[in-house]
Amino acid sequence: MNVTLAVKQYVSKMIESSGPGMKVLLMDKETTSIVSVVYTQSEILQKEVYLFERIDSQNRDSMKHLKAICFLRPTKENVEHLIQELRRPKYSVYFIYFSNVISKSEVKALAEADEQEVVAEMQEFYGDFIAVNPHVFSLNLTGVARGRSWEPSLLTRTTQGLTSVLLALKKCPMIRYQLSSDMAKRLAESVKQIITKEYELFDFRKTEVPPLLLILDRSDDAITPLLNQWTYQAMVHELLGLNNNRIDLSRVPGISKDLREVVLSAENDEFYANNLYLNFGEIGTNIKNLMEDFQKKKPKGQQKLESITDMKAFVENYPQFKKMSGTVSKHVTVVGELSRLVSDRCLMEVSEVEQELACQNDHSNAQQMLRRLLQHPRVVDLDAVRLVMLYALRYEKHSNSILPSLMDDLQRKGVPERHRKMVQSMVEYGGKRVRGTDLITPTDAVAITKQFFKGLKGVENVYTQHQPLLHDTLDQLIKGRLKDSQFPYLGPSSLRDRPQDIIVFVIGGATYEEALTVYNLNRTMPGVRIVLGGTTIHNTTSFMEEVRSTTSGGQGGHSQGMGRPPNRR
Amino acid sequence: MASSYPPPLEGSVEVKEGFLCPLCLKDLQSFYQLQDHYEEEHSGEERHVRGQIKSLVQKAKKAKDKLLKRDGEERNETSYESFYYGGVDPYMWEPQELGATRSHVDFFKKHRAERIDHYVVEVNKRIIRLEKLTSFDRTNMDAGKIRALEKSVVSWVNDSDVPFCPDCGGKFNIRNRRHHCRLCGSIMCRKCMEFVTLPLAYKLTSGTREALSAPAGSPGQKESSGSGVAVVPSLSRRGSISSLSSVSSVLEERDDDRIRCCHHCMDTLLKRQEKLEEKDHVPDIVKLYEKLRLCMDKVNEKAPEYIRMAESLNAGETIYNLDTAGGLRMEVQKYYELIDALSKRIMTLGVKEEPQPHPKTLQLQRMVRYSATLFVQEKLLGLMSLPTKDKYEELKEKRREEQERRLQQERQAALENQKRRSELDRTRPAPNTNGEAPASARSPRMTKAVGWLPSSDALHTRQLDDPLLQQIDNIQSFLRQARAAGRADEATVLEENLRQLQDEYDLQQTSRAIELSKKLAEEESLQQEQLERLEWKERAHGVWRDTEGYGEEQTTAEEEVRKKEKEEEEEEKEEDEEDKRYTLARLSTSPPRATTIKSFPPLGESPPTTSEQPPSLNPFDEEDSTPVEEDDSNPFAEDIQREQKAATANGKKEYNPFEEEEEGVVDEGAETTRESPAGRNPFEEDADGDARNPFNEGTAGTPPGASKNPFDDDEDDASVACEIIEEELLRQQIDNIRAYIFDAKQNGRADEVELLSENLRELQRTLQEQKRKAR
Repeated sequence: MNVTLAVKQYVSKMIESSGPGMKVLLMDKETTSIVSVVYTQSEILQKEVYLFERIDSQNRDSMKHLKAICFLRPTKENVEHLIQELRRPKYSVYFIYFSNVISKSEVKALAEADEQEVVAEMQEFYGDFIAVNPHVFSLNLTGVARGRSWEPSLLTRTTQGLTSVLLALKKCPMIRYQLSSDMAKRLAESVKQIITKEYELFDFRKTEVPPLLLILDRSDDAITPLLNQWTYQAMVHELLGLNNNRIDLSRVPGISKDLREVVLSAENDEFYANNLYLNFGEIGTNIKNLMEDFQKKKPKGQQKLESITDMKAFVENYPQFKKMSGTVSKHVTVVGELSRLVSDRCLMEVSEVEQELACQNDHSNAQQMLRRLLQHPRVVDLDAVRLVMLYALRYEKHSNSILPSLMDDLQRKGVPERHRKMVQSMVEYGGKRVRGTDLITPTDAVAITKQFFKGLKGVENVYTQHQPLLHDTLDQLIKGRLKDSQFPYLGPSSLRDRPQDIIVFVIGGATYEEALTVYNLNRTMPGVRIVLGGTTIHNTTSFMEEVRSTTSGGQGGHSQGMGRPPNRR
Repeated sequence: MASSYPPPLEGSVEVKEGFLCPLCLKDLQSFYQLQDHYEEEHSGEERHVRGQIKSLVQKAKKAKDKLLKRDGEERNETSYESFYYGGVDPYMWEPQELGATRSHVDFFKKHRAERIDHYVVEVNKRIIRLEKLTSFDRTNMDAGKIRALEKSVVSWVNDSDVPFCPDCGGKFNIRNRRHHCRLCGSIMCRKCMEFVTLPLAYKLTSGTREALSAPAGSPGQKESSGSGVAVVPSLSRRGSISSLSSVSSVLEERDDDRIRCCHHCMDTLLKRQEKLEEKDHVPDIVKLYEKLRLCMDKVNEKAPEYIRMAESLNAGETIYNLDTAGGLRMEVQKYYELIDALSKRIMTLGVKEEPQPHPKTLQLQRMVRYSATLFVQEKLLGLMSLPTKDKYEELKEKRREEQERRLQQERQAALENQKRRSELDRTRPAPNTNGEAPASARSPRMTKAVGWLPSSDALHTRQLDDPLLQQIDNIQSFLRQARAAGRADEATVLEENLRQLQDEYDLQQTSRAIELSKKLAEEESLQQEQLERLEWKERAHGVWRDTEGYGEEQTTAEEEVRKKEKEEEEEEKEEDEEDKRYTLARLSTSPPRATTIKSFPPLGESPPTTSEQPPSLNPFDEEDSTPVEEDDSNPFAEDIQREQKAATANGKKEYNPFEEEEEGVVDEGAETTRESPAGRNPFEEDADGDARNPFNEGTAGTPPGASKNPFDDDEDDASVACEIIEEELLRQQIDNIRAYIFDAKQNGRADEVELLSENLRELQRTLQEQKRKAR
């Protein structure tokens, strides 16, 4: 159930089966991201792969002493490129791997193009998704919906991605979907159709309890992506943007050249692996410890190596020192930038109000806090709008709703109209009318008691009170209490036992807060393994883009969203 | 300070009493024992059960914590060590098999075969025709005859059937005449026509390479990689002058040294030619690369062997020969140099040539070089140095003493146990004391410090008693013979055997002794461990509290008290240790001879003279030999101090408690970035000048109780060692530094290079001085 490992195994298998010798990896745009998320360049170099080329690149020299490993999505364009490539081969031998199912007719077309007999291998290796964490995958698709229905081409792509996850993990699941979402139903049917069509592919060893695929819709929980996050990975994504595990730091003032873009990968960065799910305060401490460790290890003093002992210590510590210096400078920069943004944008205050809005039920208190914060000069447009959105979602039907006057506040603050209009779009996207389950006020007795007790215990940490809806959904699913009326099974059979292997997929994108939730569930539930996927992984900015394109009803094309707040510097 | 993600099992499951194994329901005394028991007895069983036991352990631990009023401490564990409620960290998920795959190779090959058959036939047909066309002497034949011959090879398409050029669509007329492909008989216009030069034709038909070296030369590889059309001008240029001038000519010109053919046939022929060329052409880069890989394989093979040797030698073992290890080191280093040289050559291949190679070729060369560099970095830096001859002697001596000491301890433990047992068995006459009695009688002789030299008679007589020792003796003599005979492979096998035997022997000895003294030690160590654990938790908790609290202010006074407590506890611990040592000493006195105490060196204080050198060799050794408690307490003391400081700093700031700290860090980070271009070592500045540097504080603030601190000894030793620097050692260091310089240069860290070369010069100076002194 480890998606990262699944892709890694596919890639290393490809490389291994091509034997020794210099190799080139031929990829397309998407497979490049798929591979680069799980492997670093130096790791791949060790496997004798020295060049990385795009199949559509014109600037490729003929190098007959190289073996080519092609990892491509089976799209029409790629097949066409490949046919051209085979007609005039630039490399000695081709090992071709498609990331998904390819049609017989296309294989035939390729076979006919291979007059020089350069193709040695042609297989389907189902690594058609971005493995963000071992338990999180993304398809990097945005704007999947037009109104309340699928953008047709993206439905196909999503189905491909999701089925490839199932194949890579060797799971032939039962499917449940969220009844309130038509898109969820469509996707479930589409996945089922593929499973039926390719039944021989999905013929895996039967497990005692069949795996489960749960398909959800983002519009059911529009609150989670609007909240500020305080765990490392989520924070980095929210404030700096994490794209295929890379952060663009070029906007950070005074950044040095080699830190313009940094990679945060838990696979080969121990510090990151240990701190990915820790909150900001803990990271602060850990990074201090890291610095101190580093200072202990670093050669002390420049010309101070007086005795041979000093020298020896230096020589022995040098390799560690070298290794550490990269990690240290990277994380110090990232955390430094995060903390600068936190204080510049008053994110602590903002987050407190956000959590108040999302988790508490005190309208008058919430509206006071909100009003006060909207007056605050350092609160940027994005945060102001997101607060009002939260309010609008939360107190949509409240009798004393002050939404109109809040909108006036926004206008006074100088928030552009385009952004103000988003508040309405957000309610349209994730308001009560749309939601299947009730996101905010629990209805059944158990949940009410639970919340009551929670209230009694007091709040442990104001900034992390919020638990995404996904937590409850999964919790109920594991305990067998998830209602069939809201999350029906596709097909006649249903699961009687407690589910063990669960794949959750969120149409419209998951978030890193949910990734954390799933991580914690995995750790706390014996015998349960959950993998979370989404059409993409959202932060607030990208989520608002998604909502904009969804509600604008097919116009799309808003290339530039709110972007980063202009006064970041 | 409750956790933000409350453990769901808490409260929902009652706490069981006792430490029951969930599988066999055996009651075990502590969860450590339970864990051990589980690992021993049920490790083969299903995995999820393991999860259950872990959760059980966790619950039990919690229950204990509750009893001891240590509630709410689990939280800090989540952040410092992974622990289980029963679930599994996704990073720890068990390995899985490769995902599903589907192969299309068979289908692909089937369809390709059909196509290829057709293709091959076509190509072969053309080649045969070409051979016919070139089999006669063209230059001395008149055009008409040639034409007739050419016509006989392949049937030409009728002129009247083709009114337009099939390639360009131009209409044929008197000015735009029809031309026939001599290879397939098709028709095209002049513009679309191509020529096969005779050398190319010869080459294709004969398959020999003579044609290639002919000056008129076939189209080169580069041209052929382009489209077929691009070949035309270069070909016609190479043709006779008449052909150049005949561009506008309407008359049929002579084809002395070339054969007309169509675009399609030319293409096929060129592909064929390309293939022929590739078959016996190996580019330079491939040759070099193969050598490079060979070297890498050799290193992969030899380096572990060397590391094994060096480790063994550094530990003072006598299995390997210092000289062979030195030789091996040289060999491995040679390979590194070779790798470096080869990869450098690969990188510079063709760089000076005109025109420059394709950028991708250059990139490939750079990448090969880069990966070679990575390889060298990774492997070479892991190559430890060997002890010098004198040092090796010392190490050997030390090891011997250690073994002696251990044996003695074992013996004492055995004696003790025996005594106990005899006490137990006092009521009835024990028959088994028979076997023990001679041993105890011999023991005083053994424990004399002098009595353990390998040559001593006492040892010899005893060796004969033990079959293992006999075997070891035999093998040693074999080994000597084998070495003398120079059979390295046999020697290796023997070495391996010897090591195994020695291990076995040691194990036997130890296990016997350990078994006996186990019960006693177990109780004690368990207590100790638990105490430590609790303490560690408290400590960690303290740390955590400081850092966690978002709005909380930690008063300094509180911290002070905490610290005091901790120090006390540490002292207690030390006392504890003292106690243990005392009991051990008491144990050792129990045999009649009191002399044994002398040869039993006190554990921590004033290490024996022989052990002075090694610590200076490797500072990390020290840590290993230090008692665990000490190890812990030092960083801890620092922690407290630092945290205290942080806490006070935080106290001043009102709102964002970690902002302050963070800014400090950022400043440092920023400094670094500013510093580095200036050619200085990053982080240098702040370490020297930063008054807030917690590390400095830490060392300054180490409790005075650390008079046993091994580092004190270390420095003294160092000053002694410093005066007797040996040449060889220096040379090794120089070697190492050179490797680092190389490495640093590779990565373009000019500042480090500077620092390193500075060191190198320093070393070389010392070396020369040393030499002078020696003279």
